[in-house]
Amino acid sequence: MKDFDTKWQACTARARQAARRDEEAPFGFANRVVARAFPPGPAPVEFAGERWLARWLAGAVAVLVVCSVVELPHLREAQPLEPGIENAVAQLVWSL
Amino acid sequence: MTTTDGDLLPQVERVRQGDPEAARSLVAALQPQVLRIVRSHLPVRAAEEDLVQDIFVKLFTRLDQYQARGGVPFEHWVSRLAVRTCLDALRAERRRPELRWSDLPEEQSAWLDFMLVDQAAPPDTAPASARELLEKLLAQLSPDDRLVISLLDLEEKSVKEIAQLTGWSTTLVKVRAFRARRKLRKLAETFKANNPHERL
Repeated sequence: MKDFDTKWQACTARARQAARRDEEAPFGFANRVVARAFPPGPAPVEFAGERWLARWLAGAVAVLVVCSVVELPHLREAQPLEPGIENAVAQLVWSL
Repeated sequence: MTTTDGDLLPQVERVRQGDPEAARSLVAALQPQVLRIVRSHLPVRAAEEDLVQDIFVKLFTRLDQYQARGGVPFEHWVSRLAVRTCLDALRAERRRPELRWSDLPEEQSAWLDFMLVDQAAPPDTAPASARELLEKLLAQLSPDDRLVISLLDLEEKSVKEIAQLTGWSTTLVKVRAFRARRKLRKLAETFKANNPHERL
């Protein structure tokens, strides 16, 4: 065991003499690292646009839901076949 | 490039405040140090640049955890982070490369002969061949054993330094080093015994 250890140390001593390989960073390395570590957030204008669009859509859906709820009971009532406005228009056209 | 903590700490502070230019400068300053650690403990199937990038991303993510007043120099903190990341990568490597006698060039098998038989003089080969053989042998060990032998024998770190880098106690480092050397010897002997083209 001791003999192996001594020879192992001789081998590691020789191995340490091996020339170091090039340690220069590859081109653009720092930029790639920073891009990964600090991913850019959305641009302010784009971000504001997305936020307003989402709010507008949410508002429109809410109005639609409220209208539906208000109108739903009336839909079940018997609807007159000839709405008043249509009668008025028909009479006007007939009189001409 | 040689840097000291005094040079790096202002940059660290600027990175904490979100300055990307300071981050690029910090990467450039620390890259050789991190690359040396990665090359010493690189898993066989991992790409060197990917692992270096992972270490830097982890460094920036955890930069707030570094306390300059804690007494740990910034470069030591980076080294420790790099060593532990490499150790995690080594542990994640499920299969170790198979070592076959037929794959060894003559210069490397001469070193193995020297270590296992009564051959007094070491072979007169280029240092790179000794290095490559050692790396092949170390790749057969468990990640913890490989790390401790590599730090102790190839990088000539002291037991105390290894304890600081790995977070292990000095006793654990000594025990692991002793067991790892014993495993290395058994490994070399088994390898030699299974050699179909025995040349001894």
